[in-house]
Formats: sequence, structure tokens, C-alpha cells
Amino acid sequence: MDLLAIIQSKPVLIGFHLGFAIVGIDAFLWLLGKLKGDGGSRKSMIGTAVIGVGAFIASWLAGGYYYVVYYGKLVRPIIKGGTAPWVHNIIMETKEHIFLFIIPLAVTVLCITFLEKGDLERLKLRRLAWLLSGAVAMLGLLIGAMGFIISAAARWA
Amino acid sequence: MNKPRLIFSSAVSAIITIVYAVVITIWAELSLPLKNWLTNFSGHHWTSKSIFSVLLYAVVTIIIYFVSRDSSENNLRKALILLLVFTVLGTIALTAFFTGHHFKLF
Repeated sequence: MDLLAIIQSKPVLIGFHLGFAIVGIDAFLWLLGKLKGDGGSRKSMIGTAVIGVGAFIASWLAGGYYYVVYYGKLVRPIIKGGTAPWVHNIIMETKEHIFLFIIPLAVTVLCITFLEKGDLERLKLRRLAWLLSGAVAMLGLLIGAMGFIISAAARWA
Repeated sequence: MNKPRLIFSSAVSAIITIVYAVVITIWAELSLPLKNWLTNFSGHHWTSKSIFSVLLYAVVTIIIYFVSRDSSENNLRKALILLLVFTVLGTIALTAFFTGHHFKLF
């Protein structure tokens, strides 16, 4: 089995999807703390936001590949034929589409971190910046919880 | 680079992308021809929606950045507040739609 085949295998894709999402959530929670407490340099805030955006993009690609290639064929029929078909119809359908909100939202937060600290205060954006950073993290956590429900529904169908 | 203008452009574009994602998702669930067209475009309707959402966000951000004048402090704050509101509303709208769709309310 070559490296590409390993990367494209189901457990590794799910691992990447979840692992990168955790990194993304942590990065934006960390950024929230920095913005709220006025801690860390501008450079460190940009670095944290770049890691967060990059991690969410990687999670999106890994999860998207798994969803398109494997989920419809292997997991969806199990959930739809099991005791909780609503998990696909409501949870999965919602999860896959609200994921589309994350990247534009996260990139907007990254753009805010480009501001000098003085400009952040002058434009009165600090509070909004940490609220938006928190919104990215909360959306990530919500999607993570939905992923847990979907996995549980497939496992115990 | 004008950073406040970039933030404003990104925020407005993100709002438009969220509205697009909600509208195209609900519309495609209610219209089989649209869902089939999205599926035929890339092989999967979700992949097509993803590609279009990324393109829409990037293109609209660039257009607004070059077309808009320097936005006032007030407009910048308004755009970011609206982005927060639309994120919440978009999440609620999709959850409510798929819940109603499951229970065959529409």
C-alpha cells in the first residue's frame, strides 16, 4: 500500500478531518483569548489565525473527500436504514452545509489580525474581533458534536 | 494594502457567501433539476456548492475591495456585526429547514 492509498483510507481521512478541525478550533479559541486579553504580538495573532484557517481548510478537504467518496456509499445507507434516519436527514445535511460558512468567517478574522494594535483600538474592533473568533470556534465545536452524533448513529444503527 | 477596506470587503463577501450557501442548499433540496445540475457539474452536489462558495467569496471580496471607497469606522463595524448575525441566522435556517424537510413539513 503506497502513501497516497494510506492517506485516502477511511480511518486516516476521518483522523485528518477531526484532527485538523481540533487544531482550527483551538487556534481560534487561543486567538479569542489573545484578542480579549490584549495578549501577544500582532505577529503571533496573525500566525495563530493562519494556523486556524489552514487547519480548517485541511479539515474541509479531508472531510469532503471522505464524504463524497465513502459516506454516501457506505455510511448513509446504514444510518438511513437504522433506528435513527433523522441523523442523516437533519444532522448530516446541516453539518455538511454549515461547514461552508467557516472559511469565509475565519478568513475575515485573519484579515482583522492584519491591523496594527493601535488601529484595532481606533476602529473599536477588538470586541467584535474576539466575538467573531469565538463564533468560528463555536461553529467548529457544533460541527464536531454533529460528527459525533453521525458516528454514533452509524455505529449503533 | 488598505486593511480596513480588506476587512470590510471580506465581511460583506462572507455574508453574501452565507446567504448563497443557505439559498442554494434549500433551493436544490426543493428542485430536482437544480440538484442534478449541481451533481453533474462536479460529480457531487456538495462539491459543486463548495467550489461555487469559494469562488464567490474570493471574487466578491476582490470586487468590493477595488470598487468600494474607504469604508467608515461605522460601516466596518456594521458589516462585522451583520456577519455575526448572518452566521447565527444561517445556521438556524439550515437546521430548521432540514428538520422541517425530515418531518415532511415542506
